[in-house]
Amino acid sequence: MSRTPGRWVVSQNRNERVALSAIREDIEFYITLRHPGGCGSLRRFFSCLSSRGLLVLEVQRLMRHYNALRRQIGWTPRTLALKLLLLLGRIMAITLAKSDISETSTLDGGVYLSDHGYLIVGPRRLGRGSLIHQRVTIGAKAGGGPIKPVIGENVWIGPDCIIYGQIEIGDGATILPGTVLSMNVPAHAVAAGNPATIIAREFDNAALRQSLRTDIDRAQFASPCIRSGT
Amino acid sequence: MHPFRDVIRADFERWLDGRPMTARNSCSALLRNQGLQAVLVYRFGRQLVWAKRRLWCWPLLVPGVPLYLIAAAVIRGCYGIHLFQSAQIGPGFSVQHFGGVEVANCRLGEGCTVGQQTKVGSKMAAEGPEVGDGVWIGGHAKVLGPVRVGDGATIAPGARVTKAIPARAFVVGDPGRVVFRGYDNRQIQPKS
Repeated sequence: MSRTPGRWVVSQNRNERVALSAIREDIEFYITLRHPGGCGSLRRFFSCLSSRGLLVLEVQRLMRHYNALRRQIGWTPRTLALKLLLLLGRIMAITLAKSDISETSTLDGGVYLSDHGYLIVGPRRLGRGSLIHQRVTIGAKAGGGPIKPVIGENVWIGPDCIIYGQIEIGDGATILPGTVLSMNVPAHAVAAGNPATIIAREFDNAALRQSLRTDIDRAQFASPCIRSGT
Repeated sequence: MHPFRDVIRADFERWLDGRPMTARNSCSALLRNQGLQAVLVYRFGRQLVWAKRRLWCWPLLVPGVPLYLIAAAVIRGCYGIHLFQSAQIGPGFSVQHFGGVEVANCRLGEGCTVGQQTKVGSKMAAEGPEVGDGVWIGGHAKVLGPVRVGDGATIAPGARVTKAIPARAFVVGDPGRVVFRGYDNRQIQPKS
Protein backbone atom coordinates (compact mmCIF):
# COMPACT_ATOMS: atom_id res chain seq x y z
CA MET A 1 0.00 0.00 0.00
CA SER A 2 2.54 2.57 1.10
CA ARG A 3 4.67 4.05 -1.60
CA THR A 4 8.36 4.32 -0.93
CA PRO A 5 9.65 7.87 -1.26
CA GLY A 6 12.66 6.74 -3.26
CA ARG A 7 10.57 5.92 -6.28
CA TRP A 8 9.77 9.57 -6.80
CA VAL A 9 12.13 11.91 -8.53
CA VAL A 10 14.12 13.72 -5.87
CA SER A 11 14.89 17.17 -7.14
CA GLN A 12 17.60 19.52 -5.99
CA ASN A 13 15.19 22.42 -6.28
CA ARG A 14 13.41 23.13 -3.01
CA ASN A 15 10.26 24.51 -4.63
CA GLU A 16 10.00 21.46 -6.80
CA ARG A 17 10.40 19.14 -3.81
CA VAL A 18 7.64 20.99 -1.98
CA ALA A 19 5.33 20.81 -5.00
CA LEU A 20 6.05 17.12 -5.56
CA SER A 21 5.53 16.18 -1.92
CA ALA A 22 2.21 18.08 -1.89
CA ILE A 23 1.12 16.20 -5.02
CA ARG A 24 2.10 12.90 -3.40
CA GLU A 25 0.07 13.71 -0.30
CA ASP A 26 -2.91 14.67 -2.45
CA ILE A 27 -2.79 11.34 -4.26
CA GLU A 28 -2.52 9.40 -0.98
CA PHE A 29 -5.47 11.30 0.47
CA TYR A 30 -7.54 10.87 -2.68
CA ILE A 31 -6.90 7.12 -2.79
CA THR A 32 -7.82 6.62 0.87
CA LEU A 33 -11.10 8.47 0.24
CA ARG A 34 -11.94 6.84 -3.06
CA HIS A 35 -10.91 3.29 -2.21
CA PRO A 36 -11.24 2.96 1.58
CA GLY A 37 -10.46 -0.77 1.44
CA GLY A 38 -7.24 -0.27 -0.50
CA CYS A 39 -6.61 -1.13 -4.13
CA GLY A 40 -3.93 -2.34 -6.51
CA SER A 41 -1.47 -0.06 -8.20
CA LEU A 42 -3.08 -0.32 -11.64
CA ARG A 43 -6.49 0.66 -10.33
CA ARG A 44 -4.85 3.38 -8.29
CA PHE A 45 -3.14 4.75 -11.38
CA PHE A 46 -6.30 4.82 -13.46
CA SER A 47 -8.46 6.30 -10.73
CA CYS A 48 -5.92 9.10 -10.26
CA LEU A 49 -5.77 9.66 -14.00
CA SER A 50 -9.54 9.92 -14.32
CA SER A 51 -9.99 12.17 -11.30
CA ARG A 52 -11.02 15.67 -12.30
CA GLY A 53 -10.53 17.04 -8.79
CA LEU A 54 -6.91 15.92 -8.77
CA LEU A 55 -6.39 17.46 -12.19
CA VAL A 56 -7.62 20.85 -11.00
CA LEU A 57 -5.58 20.64 -7.82
CA GLU A 58 -2.32 19.62 -9.48
CA VAL A 59 -2.64 22.23 -12.21
CA GLN A 60 -2.94 24.85 -9.48
CA ARG A 61 0.09 23.47 -7.60
CA LEU A 62 2.22 23.31 -10.73
CA MET A 63 1.11 26.83 -11.64
CA ARG A 64 2.37 28.13 -8.31
CA HIS A 65 5.60 26.21 -8.75
CA TYR A 66 5.98 27.56 -12.27
CA ASN A 67 5.45 31.14 -11.13
CA ALA A 68 8.18 30.74 -8.49
CA LEU A 69 10.50 29.08 -11.01
CA ARG A 70 10.07 31.77 -13.61
CA ARG A 71 10.77 34.47 -11.06
CA GLN A 72 13.94 32.60 -10.14
CA ILE A 73 15.46 31.60 -13.45
CA GLY A 74 13.49 33.53 -16.09
CA TRP A 75 12.57 32.14 -19.47
CA THR A 76 14.32 28.87 -20.29
CA PRO A 77 13.16 25.90 -22.41
CA ARG A 78 12.10 24.25 -19.17
CA THR A 79 9.81 27.07 -18.03
CA LEU A 80 8.44 27.40 -21.56
CA ALA A 81 7.58 23.69 -21.68
CA LEU A 82 5.97 23.91 -18.25
CA LYS A 83 3.99 26.96 -19.37
CA LEU A 84 2.60 25.14 -22.41
CA LEU A 85 1.79 22.08 -20.30
CA LEU A 86 -0.02 24.24 -17.77
CA LEU A 87 -1.97 26.07 -20.46
CA LEU A 88 -3.24 22.70 -21.69
CA GLY A 89 -3.94 21.59 -18.12
CA ARG A 90 -5.87 24.74 -17.37
CA ILE A 91 -8.02 24.34 -20.48
CA MET A 92 -8.69 20.74 -19.42
CA ALA A 93 -9.52 21.83 -15.87
CA ILE A 94 -12.00 24.40 -17.16
CA THR A 95 -13.65 22.20 -19.76
CA LEU A 96 -13.74 18.93 -17.83
CA ALA A 97 -14.29 20.09 -14.27
CA LYS A 98 -15.66 23.63 -14.81
CA SER A 99 -13.41 24.61 -11.94
CA ASP A 100 -11.17 27.56 -11.33
CA ILE A 101 -8.71 27.61 -8.44
CA SER A 102 -6.97 30.91 -7.83
CA GLU A 103 -3.22 30.91 -8.43
CA THR A 104 -2.62 33.11 -5.40
CA SER A 105 -4.15 30.75 -2.87
CA THR A 106 -1.94 28.51 -0.72
CA LEU A 107 -3.21 24.96 -0.57
CA ASP A 108 -1.52 22.61 1.91
CA GLY A 109 -0.72 19.08 0.82
CA GLY A 110 -3.38 16.39 1.21
CA VAL A 111 -6.64 18.16 0.39
CA TYR A 112 -9.56 16.81 -1.60
CA LEU A 113 -11.48 18.72 -4.27
CA SER A 114 -14.66 17.21 -5.65
CA ASP A 115 -14.58 15.22 -8.86
CA HIS A 116 -17.98 16.62 -9.83
CA GLY A 117 -16.46 20.04 -10.41
CA TYR A 118 -18.08 23.48 -10.56
CA LEU A 119 -15.63 24.83 -7.99
CA ILE A 120 -14.75 28.52 -8.02
CA VAL A 121 -12.31 28.44 -5.15
CA GLY A 122 -9.74 31.00 -4.04
CA PRO A 123 -9.04 30.92 -0.30
CA ARG A 124 -5.98 32.61 1.15
CA ARG A 125 -5.03 29.29 2.74
CA LEU A 126 -6.58 25.84 2.79
CA GLY A 127 -5.37 23.51 5.52
CA ARG A 128 -4.29 19.90 5.36
CA GLY A 129 -6.95 17.20 5.25
CA SER A 130 -9.80 19.46 4.12
CA LEU A 131 -12.57 18.30 1.80
CA ILE A 132 -14.42 20.55 -0.63
CA HIS A 133 -17.44 19.09 -2.37
CA GLN A 134 -19.04 20.10 -5.65
CA ARG A 135 -20.48 23.51 -6.63
CA VAL A 136 -18.65 25.45 -3.94
CA THR A 137 -17.65 29.08 -4.23
CA ILE A 138 -14.94 30.52 -2.00
CA GLY A 139 -13.74 34.03 -2.63
CA ALA A 140 -13.53 37.69 -1.83
CA LYS A 141 -16.60 39.74 -1.05
CA ALA A 142 -17.83 41.78 -4.01
CA GLY A 143 -16.80 45.39 -3.41
CA GLY A 144 -15.20 44.43 -0.11
CA GLY A 145 -11.56 44.41 -1.13
CA PRO A 146 -9.36 41.51 -2.16
CA ILE A 147 -9.19 39.74 1.22
CA LYS A 148 -10.24 36.11 0.98
CA PRO A 149 -11.17 33.48 3.59
CA VAL A 150 -8.65 31.42 5.55
CA ILE A 151 -9.66 27.78 6.00
CA GLY A 152 -8.05 25.65 8.68
CA GLU A 153 -7.13 21.99 8.73
CA ASN A 154 -9.55 19.05 8.53
CA VAL A 155 -12.48 21.22 7.45
CA TRP A 156 -15.42 19.57 5.70
CA ILE A 157 -17.25 21.79 3.22
CA GLY A 158 -20.44 20.35 1.77
CA PRO A 159 -21.91 20.86 -1.69
CA ASP A 160 -23.48 24.17 -2.83
CA CYS A 161 -21.70 26.26 -0.20
CA ILE A 162 -20.71 29.89 -0.64
CA ILE A 163 -17.93 31.22 1.58
CA TYR A 164 -16.82 34.81 1.14
CA GLY A 165 -15.28 37.80 2.84
CA GLN A 166 -12.51 38.33 5.36
CA ILE A 167 -13.26 35.33 7.58
CA GLU A 168 -11.49 32.47 9.25
CA ILE A 169 -12.75 28.91 9.53
CA GLY A 170 -11.18 27.04 12.43
CA ASP A 171 -9.64 23.57 12.37
CA GLY A 172 -12.08 20.67 12.19
CA ALA A 173 -15.11 22.83 11.36
CA THR A 174 -18.02 21.46 9.35
CA ILE A 175 -19.94 23.55 6.82
CA LEU A 176 -23.20 21.78 5.98
CA PRO A 177 -24.50 21.65 2.38
CA GLY A 178 -26.08 24.83 1.05
CA THR A 179 -24.54 27.24 3.56
CA VAL A 180 -23.94 30.89 2.71
CA LEU A 181 -21.15 31.83 5.09
CA SER A 182 -19.67 35.26 5.66
CA MET A 183 -18.63 35.09 9.32
CA ASN A 184 -15.92 33.42 11.38
CA VAL A 185 -16.43 29.80 12.41
CA PRO A 186 -14.66 28.58 15.55
CA ALA A 187 -12.75 25.29 15.56
CA HIS A 188 -14.86 22.09 15.58
CA ALA A 189 -18.12 24.04 15.10
CA VAL A 190 -20.90 23.30 12.60
CA ALA A 191 -22.27 26.10 10.42
CA ALA A 192 -25.48 25.85 8.38
CA GLY A 193 -28.20 27.94 6.81
CA ASN A 194 -28.62 30.89 4.50
CA PRO A 195 -27.44 33.23 6.05
CA ALA A 196 -25.29 30.94 8.18
CA THR A 197 -25.51 30.32 11.90
CA ILE A 198 -23.48 28.10 14.20
CA ILE A 199 -25.79 25.19 15.00
CA ALA A 200 -23.44 22.99 17.02
CA ARG A 201 -20.06 23.11 18.72
CA GLU A 202 -17.49 20.44 19.46
CA PHE A 203 -18.61 18.21 16.61
CA ASP A 204 -16.11 15.62 15.47
CA ASN A 205 -16.21 15.37 11.68
CA ALA A 206 -13.64 12.56 11.40
CA ALA A 207 -16.26 10.05 10.21
CA LEU A 208 -17.50 12.55 7.63
CA ARG A 209 -14.01 13.14 6.31
CA GLN A 210 -13.27 9.46 5.80
CA SER A 211 -15.88 8.94 3.13
CA LEU A 212 -17.24 10.95 0.25
CA ARG A 213 -20.80 10.87 1.54
CA THR A 214 -22.65 14.16 1.66
CA ASP A 215 -25.98 13.03 3.15
CA ILE A 216 -25.79 15.17 6.25
CA ASP A 217 -28.53 17.53 7.28
CA ARG A 218 -29.09 20.07 10.03
CA ALA A 219 -31.85 17.82 11.39
CA GLN A 220 -29.05 15.61 12.72
CA PHE A 221 -27.97 18.51 14.93
CA ALA A 222 -31.24 18.98 16.83
CA SER A 223 -30.66 21.02 19.96
CA PRO A 224 -29.95 18.98 23.13
CA CYS A 225 -32.91 20.41 25.03
CA ILE A 226 -35.38 19.15 22.41
CA ARG A 227 -33.66 15.78 22.41
CA SER A 228 -33.90 15.49 26.20
CA GLY A 229 -37.58 16.53 26.14
CA THR A 230 -38.64 13.70 23.84
CA MET B 1 -33.80 47.99 -30.39
CA HIS B 2 -30.14 48.82 -30.00
CA PRO B 3 -27.83 48.46 -32.99
CA PHE B 4 -25.79 45.27 -32.88
CA ARG B 5 -22.50 47.13 -32.83
CA ASP B 6 -23.41 49.16 -29.75
CA VAL B 7 -24.62 46.06 -27.92
CA ILE B 8 -21.30 44.27 -28.51
CA ARG B 9 -19.37 47.37 -27.49
CA ALA B 10 -21.36 47.58 -24.24
CA ASP B 11 -20.66 43.89 -23.52
CA PHE B 12 -16.94 44.39 -24.04
CA GLU B 13 -16.80 47.56 -21.96
CA ARG B 14 -17.95 45.66 -18.89
CA TRP B 15 -14.63 43.81 -19.00
CA LEU B 16 -12.29 46.53 -20.15
CA ASP B 17 -12.18 48.26 -16.77
CA GLY B 18 -12.16 51.73 -18.25
CA ARG B 19 -9.36 51.02 -20.73
CA PRO B 20 -9.92 52.07 -24.35
CA MET B 21 -11.49 49.45 -26.60
CA THR B 22 -8.52 48.69 -28.78
CA ALA B 23 -8.05 45.41 -30.64
CA ARG B 24 -5.40 44.29 -28.16
CA ASN B 25 -7.48 45.02 -25.05
CA SER B 26 -10.57 43.41 -26.58
CA CYS B 27 -8.71 40.25 -27.53
CA SER B 28 -7.17 39.85 -24.09
CA ALA B 29 -10.57 40.41 -22.47
CA LEU B 30 -12.13 37.84 -24.79
CA LEU B 31 -9.47 35.21 -24.12
CA ARG B 32 -9.55 35.60 -20.37
CA ASN B 33 -13.27 35.78 -19.75
CA GLN B 34 -15.31 32.74 -20.63
CA GLY B 35 -18.49 34.65 -19.74
CA LEU B 36 -17.77 37.22 -22.43
CA GLN B 37 -17.34 34.47 -25.03
CA ALA B 38 -20.69 33.00 -24.04
CA VAL B 39 -22.41 36.40 -24.28
CA LEU B 40 -20.94 36.98 -27.74
CA VAL B 41 -22.26 33.63 -28.97
CA TYR B 42 -25.67 34.49 -27.53
CA ARG B 43 -25.62 37.87 -29.33
CA PHE B 44 -24.72 36.12 -32.56
CA GLY B 45 -27.76 33.89 -32.15
CA ARG B 46 -29.98 36.93 -31.57
CA GLN B 47 -28.63 38.44 -34.74
CA LEU B 48 -29.59 35.29 -36.64
CA VAL B 49 -33.15 35.63 -35.33
CA TRP B 50 -33.11 39.21 -36.59
CA ALA B 51 -31.80 38.06 -39.97
CA LYS B 52 -34.43 35.36 -40.28
CA ARG B 53 -37.14 37.99 -40.66
CA ARG B 54 -35.42 39.64 -43.62
CA LEU B 55 -35.44 37.87 -46.94
CA TRP B 56 -32.21 39.46 -48.19
CA CYS B 57 -30.37 38.08 -45.15
CA TRP B 58 -31.31 34.46 -45.76
CA PRO B 59 -28.09 33.51 -47.60
CA LEU B 60 -26.21 34.53 -44.44
CA LEU B 61 -28.18 32.00 -42.43
CA VAL B 62 -26.71 29.08 -44.37
CA PRO B 63 -23.26 29.32 -42.75
CA GLY B 64 -24.54 31.26 -39.74
CA VAL B 65 -26.95 28.76 -38.20
CA PRO B 66 -24.59 25.74 -38.09
CA LEU B 67 -21.82 28.02 -36.81
CA TYR B 68 -24.08 29.26 -34.01
CA LEU B 69 -25.25 25.77 -33.09
CA ILE B 70 -21.69 24.48 -32.85
CA ALA B 71 -20.46 27.50 -30.90
CA ALA B 72 -23.38 27.36 -28.47
CA ALA B 73 -22.84 23.63 -27.91
CA VAL B 74 -19.14 24.22 -27.22
CA ILE B 75 -19.93 27.01 -24.73
CA ARG B 76 -22.53 24.87 -22.99
CA GLY B 77 -20.35 21.79 -22.87
CA CYS B 78 -17.05 23.41 -21.99
CA TYR B 79 -18.04 26.25 -19.67
CA GLY B 80 -21.51 25.24 -18.51
CA ILE B 81 -22.96 28.66 -19.39
CA HIS B 82 -26.48 28.23 -20.74
CA LEU B 83 -27.77 31.45 -22.31
CA PHE B 84 -30.90 30.39 -24.15
CA GLN B 85 -32.41 32.36 -27.01
CA SER B 86 -35.72 32.51 -25.13
CA ALA B 87 -34.09 35.09 -22.85
CA GLN B 88 -34.01 38.72 -23.89
CA ILE B 89 -30.82 40.19 -22.50
CA GLY B 90 -30.09 43.90 -22.69
CA PRO B 91 -26.71 45.33 -23.71
CA GLY B 92 -23.82 45.30 -21.27
CA PHE B 93 -24.46 41.83 -19.85
CA SER B 94 -21.68 40.26 -17.85
CA VAL B 95 -21.26 36.67 -16.63
CA GLN B 96 -18.70 36.82 -13.85
CA HIS B 97 -17.67 33.16 -13.70
CA PHE B 98 -18.32 30.07 -15.74
CA GLY B 99 -20.12 27.00 -14.46
CA GLY B 100 -23.82 26.32 -14.08
CA VAL B 101 -25.22 29.65 -15.31
CA GLU B 102 -28.70 29.31 -16.78
CA VAL B 103 -30.58 32.27 -18.26
CA ALA B 104 -33.77 31.27 -20.05
CA ASN B 105 -37.25 32.57 -20.76
CA CYS B 106 -36.82 35.95 -19.09
CA ARG B 107 -36.10 39.61 -19.78
CA LEU B 108 -32.97 41.28 -18.46
CA GLY B 109 -32.35 45.01 -18.69
CA GLU B 110 -29.18 46.89 -19.50
CA GLY B 111 -25.96 46.39 -17.58
CA CYS B 112 -26.90 43.29 -15.57
CA THR B 113 -24.32 41.04 -13.91
CA VAL B 114 -24.73 37.40 -12.94
CA GLY B 115 -22.36 35.13 -11.04
CA GLN B 116 -21.64 31.43 -11.26
CA GLN B 117 -24.35 28.80 -10.64
CA THR B 118 -27.04 31.46 -11.14
CA LYS B 119 -30.44 30.41 -12.45
CA VAL B 120 -32.55 33.18 -13.99
CA GLY B 121 -35.82 31.94 -15.43
CA SER B 122 -36.59 28.34 -16.18
CA LYS B 123 -36.88 26.52 -19.48
CA MET B 124 -40.07 24.80 -18.38
CA ALA B 125 -42.06 27.68 -16.88
CA ALA B 126 -44.62 29.52 -19.01
CA GLU B 127 -43.66 32.92 -17.62
CA GLY B 128 -40.21 34.04 -16.63
CA PRO B 129 -38.92 36.85 -14.45
CA GLU B 130 -38.53 40.41 -15.64
CA VAL B 131 -35.32 41.97 -14.39
CA GLY B 132 -34.65 45.70 -14.60
CA ASP B 133 -31.53 47.66 -15.53
CA GLY B 134 -28.27 47.42 -13.64
CA VAL B 135 -29.26 44.47 -11.46
CA TRP B 136 -26.44 42.55 -9.76
CA ILE B 137 -27.21 38.87 -9.20
CA GLY B 138 -24.63 37.06 -7.10
CA GLY B 139 -23.42 33.50 -7.36
CA HIS B 140 -25.78 30.58 -6.66
CA ALA B 141 -28.79 32.94 -6.69
CA LYS B 142 -32.12 31.80 -8.13
CA VAL B 143 -34.71 34.06 -9.79
CA LEU B 144 -37.17 31.55 -11.18
CA GLY B 145 -40.84 32.53 -10.95
CA PRO B 146 -42.72 35.25 -12.84
CA VAL B 147 -41.43 38.03 -10.60
CA ARG B 148 -40.42 41.62 -11.33
CA VAL B 149 -37.01 42.76 -10.08
CA GLY B 150 -36.62 46.54 -10.01
CA ASP B 151 -33.81 48.62 -11.48
CA GLY B 152 -30.52 48.62 -9.62
CA ALA B 153 -31.52 45.84 -7.23
CA THR B 154 -28.84 43.63 -5.67
CA ILE B 155 -29.47 39.94 -5.13
CA ALA B 156 -26.90 38.56 -2.71
CA PRO B 157 -25.08 35.26 -3.31
CA GLY B 158 -27.23 32.27 -2.48
CA ALA B 159 -30.52 34.19 -2.41
CA ARG B 160 -33.72 32.79 -3.92
CA VAL B 161 -36.15 35.43 -5.16
CA THR B 162 -39.80 34.43 -4.78
CA LYS B 163 -41.64 37.77 -4.88
CA ALA B 164 -41.39 41.17 -6.54
CA ILE B 165 -38.33 43.19 -5.57
CA PRO B 166 -38.46 47.02 -5.52
CA ALA B 167 -35.80 49.13 -7.23
CA ARG B 168 -32.43 49.49 -5.50
CA ALA B 169 -33.27 46.86 -2.87
CA PHE B 170 -30.80 44.43 -1.34
CA VAL B 171 -32.09 40.86 -1.13
CA VAL B 172 -30.57 38.05 0.93
CA GLY B 173 -31.58 34.62 2.12
CA ASP B 174 -33.65 31.67 1.05
CA PRO B 175 -36.52 32.59 0.61
CA GLY B 176 -35.25 36.04 -0.27
CA ARG B 177 -36.15 39.06 1.81
CA VAL B 178 -35.33 42.71 1.34
CA VAL B 179 -32.93 43.72 4.11
CA PHE B 180 -32.54 47.32 3.06
CA ARG B 181 -33.53 49.68 0.30
CA GLY B 182 -31.64 52.38 -1.48
CA TYR B 183 -28.47 50.29 -1.88
CA ASP B 184 -26.18 51.57 -4.59
CA ASN B 185 -24.70 48.54 -6.35
CA ARG B 186 -22.39 50.55 -8.60
CA GLN B 187 -19.55 49.88 -6.15
CA ILE B 188 -19.77 46.13 -6.74
CA GLN B 189 -20.60 46.22 -10.44
CA PRO B 190 -17.60 45.85 -12.71
CA LYS B 191 -16.64 49.22 -14.10
CA SER B 192 -18.08 50.10 -17.46
